[in-house]
Formats: sequence, structure tokens, C-alpha cells
Amino acid sequence: MINKIFFLSEKKNMPSNQPKFFFINTLVFINLAILFLCMISNEALAIDQINQPESDSTSIMAEEDDFDDDFDFDDEFDSSVINVPDPLSGYNRLMTKINDKLYSWIITPGARAYSFVVPEPGRLAISRSFKNIFFPVRLVNNLLQIKIKRSGVESLRFLINSTIGILGFMDPARDWLELEAYPEDFGQTLGHYGIGAGFHLVLPILGPSNLRDTIGLAPDYFLNPIHYIDSQTLEIGLESYQKLNSSSLYIGEYEALKQDSLDFYILLRDSYEQNRKMKIRD
Amino acid sequence: MKKLFLIILGIMLLSQTALANDKKEVEDLIKNTFDHVLDILQKKDLLQEDKNCRVIEIVTPVFAFPKMAKLSLGRTHWLKLNKDQKEKFTSLFIKRLKSSFLEKLNLYSNEAIIYKDALKIKKKIHLPTELISKDNKIQMLYKLYKSKSGWKIYDIEIQGVSIISTNRSQFDQILQKGTFKDLINKLENTESA
Repeated sequence: MINKIFFLSEKKNMPSNQPKFFFINTLVFINLAILFLCMISNEALAIDQINQPESDSTSIMAEEDDFDDDFDFDDEFDSSVINVPDPLSGYNRLMTKINDKLYSWIITPGARAYSFVVPEPGRLAISRSFKNIFFPVRLVNNLLQIKIKRSGVESLRFLINSTIGILGFMDPARDWLELEAYPEDFGQTLGHYGIGAGFHLVLPILGPSNLRDTIGLAPDYFLNPIHYIDSQTLEIGLESYQKLNSSSLYIGEYEALKQDSLDFYILLRDSYEQNRKMKIRD
Repeated sequence: MKKLFLIILGIMLLSQTALANDKKEVEDLIKNTFDHVLDILQKKDLLQEDKNCRVIEIVTPVFAFPKMAKLSLGRTHWLKLNKDQKEKFTSLFIKRLKSSFLEKLNLYSNEAIIYKDALKIKKKIHLPTELISKDNKIQMLYKLYKSKSGWKIYDIEIQGVSIISTNRSQFDQILQKGTFKDLINKLENTESA
């Protein structure tokens, strides 16, 4: 598997093939779209911010209630509610439904069947090995954010786990040396440099995302060694297998979250955005 | 001049220790409570129902359940309700929160919990903890405020996702399109599901 990573340097100089062109084209298109939509969403946000304090102050004055002592609490949660711009909520809700059917009809039953065949320790080992292969994504994004110490830890982890950890199937760096991975992706890198999330966007199969993180998928695609495998079938096969394996480790969590919700789309949307905010802050 | 300086120094020192005491108090409170809860979960001779009852008993004084109900609805919506509606909503909300808390607790399987140093943010204290699970770590942040009967949890953030915020935006969405009755119906339905 280490060999596959070395393909990275060789293949970069080769003439670009179809999928790469496709990605660059979409990147340009998305860039144009972001500019346009940012202009719109900025205006919408500005109007929101002007209106907000006024409506609040009237409701405070209108009625006296034991809510008075909770003012500083309320402010704490107000901002987090307003901050998700969602002009495509119609499309997003539809895509959430389609994804939901995909999960409950195909992915979850598949993952369940798979989990019967392969015991959990095996699946965890496979998941660790994939994580080890995805090391370039984490390293480059840590470097881009000038997190030097974390980049060093990531490199050390890769060295130790690829060798002593037998191609990353084990994680001695974490178990013995307490070196934890520092997951970073390009969406987080953009966020780190102050680029806002843009509007919320639900992607097919991948689920909740936003404009910034969707754009971030393209650079991460090129940093992922799996995409430098010669055979297209093997590439897609490996990627699907990785998804299946990782979802087999979290069977039931999606369903639990869904059952817990009153408006599943809103729950997914807000959870995603809040979680990303934390990851960028970190 | 010297006296004044000493007085100011004294006040600063006192407030410093008061702050440290608050943090210590919160750290101990959360740690003791969860140690107690985990003890009960590990008892094999207890029935699941008995365990649940005991856990809720231990946890109730630490959580500000009614306040969480209020905060989840938000000021604007809360003020529109009459007294009966408020009571109805609060009791339903608390019931739902407790059952979802117990469900989450049942997923717990001996993961190590790491308690970090508490942070004072304005009048509140945030206690970050980490749950070391099978292949990653889950960050849990307990947010507490000082009520008349001591420090209480008013929100929990799991991986940066606040329970209050996510509930609040869902309630808000339902109330924007429908009425309070719709919200109550939904709360009742999900509970039985």
C-alpha cells in the first residue's frame, strides 16, 4: 500500500486525464457561483442583522416574565440560530430525503450484512489502515494552516504506523505513544483563514456540507492517494469499500439521531455547521 | 498608598481563590456525578429499568431541566405561551430529554473519560471532557451556571454541537410554519416512537 502513495509523485507529471479536467471545470464553475451567491447572501445577512435587535427589544418590553434572569443565556444561543444561510432549503430537504432512502435501503443493510461477516476488530483495523493512507490530506492541510507541531505528529504517526503498525492496520502511535491524529481538510483550511461557510448544501451520498466545504473537496481529492490508482474500477471499489467499512462501525447511530429529531433536516444541518465551526476553531 | 495597594492586592487574591473554588466545585460535581452514574451502569444485578430510575435520580439535581426547556424554545416563542402551555411544553421536553439521555448512556461501553480544566466564561463555567472511543475521541463540553441551589448544567455540546441550539432551531422551524399545537403533537409522537 505504501507503493500506491509513491504513485503520487510519478503521476503528477503525466498529462491530465478525463476526471481531472472535469474537476477543474467544476471548480471554476463553483467559484463563479460562490461569488454571485456570496453577494446575495451577504445582503440578506445584513438585513437580518439590522432587524434582529429591534424585534428582540420589543418582545422584552412587551411582557414581563421570569425569562428576565435568562437574558445572557438567550444571547448565547441567538447567534447560533441565525447564522446558517440556507437559500437552497428546498433542494437540500429533497436531497436529505434521497440520501435517507439510500442509507436506510442500501448502505445500512449492506453495512449490517458486512458486519456479520467481518468481526469488529477486523473492521477497526481496516478503518485504521484507510486512515493511514489518507495521511497526505491531513498533513498538507495542517501545513497549510502552519500547524507545525501537528504536521510533525502526523508525519511521525505515518512513519510508525506504516512500519511497526503493519501498513496502518494497527495504531501503535496512538496506543503506545499517545500521538493522536489531527484530522484537517481543505474546508477547514479555508475556514482557518476566515472564509465563511457560505450557504448550506446537501450533497448526494456524502450528506450535509456547505459551499466552502464542497469547494474544499476538490483539493482533498487530489491529496487522496486512492485517486492515483491506475485502474478506475479498483479506485471506485476501494472508495465504496471504505465508506461501507466506516459506516459498519456506526450502525444505528444515524437511525438514533433520526428518531431523536423533530425536523431531521434542520437537526442534520445545524449539527453539521456547529461541528465544522468547532473543528475550524480547534 | 501602601494600604490601598495592599487592599487591592487582597481583593484580587480573594477573587482569584473564589474563581478557583468555583472551577474546582464544578469539576468535582461533574466528576462525582458521572462516576456515580457509571458505577450504577456497571452493576450487573440491577434491571435496566431500575438502573434508569437511579441514574435519573442522581442526574436530576445537576441538570437545570426547566431552564433547558425554556432556552430551547427561545425568548420570543416562550413569551407567547400562556401558563398551561408553558407547563405542558416543559414537562414534555424534560421527558424527552431524559429518555434521549438514557439512550445515549446505554451506548456507553467503558470508554475512558478525560476531564480537562474548567473555563470561566462570563458568569458561567464550561467543563470540557473527552470520551476516548474505539477509533476516535469525542469532545463533550458541559456548560454550567450558578443557580440558587448550586451549579447546574444548562447545555451540553457534543463535538461542538449544542443540544439547546439544535433543539431550538427545530422548534423554531416548526413554530414558524405551524402552531404551538403542532409542536406539542410532534413532541408527543416522537416520544412514543
